Amino acid sequence: MGFSVSGSAAIIFVGIFLAFSTAYTASANGFERVSDANSAVDEEALERQNTALSVANATYDAGNDTLAVDVVNEGTTTLSVNATDLLVDNTYRDDYAVRRVGADNSTDLWLPGERLHLEVTTPTQPNRVKIVSGPGVAVTEVL
Amino acid sequence: MASVSASHLILFIASLVIAAGVAGTFTQGVSRLSQGIDDQSLEVADEVRTDIEVISDAGSPVYNNSSKTVTLLVKNTGTSDIPADSRFIEILLDGQYRTNVTVTVVDGEQWRPNNVVRIVISSADLAAGDHRAKLIVNGDEEVFRFRT
Repeated sequence: MGFSVSGSAAIIFVGIFLAFSTAYTASANGFERVSDANSAVDEEALERQNTALSVANATYDAGNDTLAVDVVNEGTTTLSVNATDLLVDNTYRDDYAVRRVGADNSTDLWLPGERLHLEVTTPTQPNRVKIVSGPGVAVTEVL
Repeated sequence: MASVSASHLILFIASLVIAAGVAGTFTQGVSRLSQGIDDQSLEVADEVRTDIEVISDAGSPVYNNSSKTVTLLVKNTGTSDIPADSRFIEILLDGQYRTNVTVTVVDGEQWRPNNVVRIVISSADLAAGDHRAKLIVNGDEEVFRFRT
């Protein structure tokens, strides 16, 4: 009888060991995945809190059908020029005639305190302009 | 004596078989549970990472009265890619579920973080007044109010 008890106990022990190793791996991976996602969202929220924009100038030049918008990054986050969107009267515009930060038209970085200058061609005088930054913080200007 | 050893052998084999059965069932159950936890964590992580923002300017006309369409611009402000397909975006216009919706990415190929999609809700036929559109993507809900 001694062999039967120890043999079956050994089999059950090995079974439990295997089961718990699988369960532990799965729960640890799952927990890590969710906490990674949570920290990414927290980072985004912090970035959003530190983002502020203001429209310094928005003028329409009827002579050459150009709308010029100057936006200043008044927050403390570095924004991306490519991730910044311009809506003119609710129409998404990405056909910029001019898009530059300061005097640099090749950079993607829009640093705190810098001024982004956007120019688009519009045949008619627009009423409203909206600029949306990468984190989602937006400003609206009525012309 | 021989009969005692034979019965001991039978009991020994039987106990091993039963133990193997119990251990096998237990392992299988736990591994199924682990698979469930794994799948669930993927879903939850995706839901947490999803964040959208309606960037349409509510002050400008959103509703086109002649074509009876509502056009919304939605930015992916989360940290994961979202399929730009109307099957993954639930839209309620004034509480009514809309199916005739077209989704196009306006600044790229896919709806990656920072990209914007244009959602056109056709045959909306809205009366003059206040309206609301609700978007649900991967558990993330956004409400956009506008006037026609």
